[in-house]
Amino acid sequence: MTVYRCEDTLESIFTAIYRAYEEKRDHEDTLLCLTDDPILFSEDVAAEADEERARKVMNTLKRRFGNEDCASLCMALAAEDTDKAQAVYRTVVKGLRAGSRPGRLFDNLADNDIHRAFALARGVSREVGHQKEFLRFQELDNGVLFSGIGPKADVLTFIMPHFADRLPVENFVIYDEKRNLFGIHPAGRDWYLLRGEEAQETLRLRYSQEELRYQELFRLFYHTIAIQERKNDKLQKGMLPLRFREYMVEFWKA
Amino acid sequence: MEYLMTGQEMPLEDKLQVLTDAAKYDVACTSSGVERKGNGKGMGNCVAAGICHSFSGDGRCISLLKILLTNECIYDCKYCRNRRSNDIPRATFTPEEICTLTMEFYRRNYIEGLFLSSGIIGNPTFTMELICRTIWLLRNKYLFNGYIHVKAIPGAAPEVIEQAGFLADRMSVNLELPTAEGLRTLAPNKHRKSILTPMRQIQNGIQANRNDLVLYRSAPKFVAGGQSTQMIVGATPESDYQIINVAENLYRKFDLKRVFYSAFVNVTGDKSLPALPGGPPLLREHRLYQADWLLRFYGFRAEELLDERHPYFNVMLDPKEDWAVRHLEYFPVEINRAPLEELLRVPGVGVKSAQRIVAARRSGRLDFPDLKKIGVVLKRALYFITCSGRLMYPVKLEEDYIVRNLTSPRDRIQFGSDGMSYRQMSLFDDANFMRPIGVTEQRQTALGQL
Repeated sequence: MTVYRCEDTLESIFTAIYRAYEEKRDHEDTLLCLTDDPILFSEDVAAEADEERARKVMNTLKRRFGNEDCASLCMALAAEDTDKAQAVYRTVVKGLRAGSRPGRLFDNLADNDIHRAFALARGVSREVGHQKEFLRFQELDNGVLFSGIGPKADVLTFIMPHFADRLPVENFVIYDEKRNLFGIHPAGRDWYLLRGEEAQETLRLRYSQEELRYQELFRLFYHTIAIQERKNDKLQKGMLPLRFREYMVEFWKA
Repeated sequence: MEYLMTGQEMPLEDKLQVLTDAAKYDVACTSSGVERKGNGKGMGNCVAAGICHSFSGDGRCISLLKILLTNECIYDCKYCRNRRSNDIPRATFTPEEICTLTMEFYRRNYIEGLFLSSGIIGNPTFTMELICRTIWLLRNKYLFNGYIHVKAIPGAAPEVIEQAGFLADRMSVNLELPTAEGLRTLAPNKHRKSILTPMRQIQNGIQANRNDLVLYRSAPKFVAGGQSTQMIVGATPESDYQIINVAENLYRKFDLKRVFYSAFVNVTGDKSLPALPGGPPLLREHRLYQADWLLRFYGFRAEELLDERHPYFNVMLDPKEDWAVRHLEYFPVEINRAPLEELLRVPGVGVKSAQRIVAARRSGRLDFPDLKKIGVVLKRALYFITCSGRLMYPVKLEEDYIVRNLTSPRDRIQFGSDGMSYRQMSLFDDANFMRPIGVTEQRQTALGQL
């Protein structure tokens, strides 16, 4: 058995997929592994990220499976699971072998590997949706909008385009606390990601003059809009899980 | 105007409180139906699926800044908190205040846009003009490109309504009560005709605009997100059958995007209104929404779900289960062969899972564990489906049996962690396995045939 030892990045996993084809491995007897757990009688290969090969894989996936399914595969790779590389690899192998037409990669949900990749992608896509909904910006004293998030998956690359399109004239920063990653959007220009070396930056945040007033106004709105006769904690918790609330101004105490 | 002057002195906090409180019973707080990219200059875009930014204590979504322009209403509708004869604090926003609030909330990602309704101040046309002016400012001075939902005020001049339509993404006219009779008793200032007139106008506007858009791609869009309406459920004695028929007609004849149902909350204590000691009729509202979905996405017609003899929805079963147990002649449905329309009628199978079944069975036969992966709710579906001709369990296709199993948690077929398990057999089970030996058997035994 061949085992490609990948890093937890899209580039590294795509490189491993490229090499599995390049080196003509038996796909039934090849494993993409993100951990260092030893596997008996295996031939270990370290798959370092290679930009050129990763791009080629990306282009092939887009051409063969369409933009949407390719995006789903990328989302699956943003999940916090160690079996994601293998699930995506197996899905790609099966899709190429079956000659899936664009948009039809995930049709055969009865297949375990395809279902696994589908479930991972769905989980990440939900997290992306939640962050678009529940993320809150605070205005700093230099006019920059700042938001801290703690998502379950590495979703920053998927939410930045949404906010860049929405707030083109704003300088804003989204900070992923769990991965120490900044998404930065300078007004009128393209956004980019920055790996934060020190998280002290967050401690020095100073709100603008108006910020606290608008937070208070929104809290007021939030509490007034609820109908007491219809109070339903369970429904609220189902729609808005507790883990998001520490980041949301309406749940902060004044 | 004196009442406008008193409004000016009130701080923004108080106004927001008063006018949010006044707007909270309106239900149409969605931001869906429009896909619009940002324009690179102003602020905002729209996502077709809509985005809910928060959920309030009652579990309802907060998508838009839902406020009234004013609650200084000249009407005296008996169910409404803002009726003229009710003694509550009154306030009126200035258009600038609304714009600032919307922009500042929007850029902090608190909201998806503005939902602007209003009490009738002065007269309907004047009120509509104020609404129109507000959203004109928001679009053209504040360059807001997000979602705007406004009410069309019944009785307002058609020109003003049309103007608002070119600025808003969705418009709605509230039907308030399902029948003209209910409206007459509870809302003496409103008339069925004056409500349907703007609704028809908007419908025609959307239709004409569609034709314009075919000719000129950059023609301004008129109410791109479609129009919606809402009705209050439980304030007047209409049956579910009447309500669902009204809804179906609105979808068919007025091309509405959504009809919302609002469980009646008695806020005015008027003597002509029901007291509702058990709280608002939330289950009834829920059943109506379920039926509404069946009408719009599952190909059901209103008269299939209810009729004169069954004018109310079943309390224990959802409308689809209720329909299915009364129409067992359509079941069981074979998962590997049935067309999409038939799959959609199976309880426990949603639109997504039906589509996935159709896609997945191209690659091979599906069995029950595969259905679970696809997202079918087997505990509801198992009575109505077969995979390759087999039932999941040996269940009976019999109305009483299925209803009993669907409704009582104790008698339900037990599910283990793996999705299926069987009940332990016992010698002393209540089930009557032994029946008395009949004469035939005695004779057969005697003759050595058994």
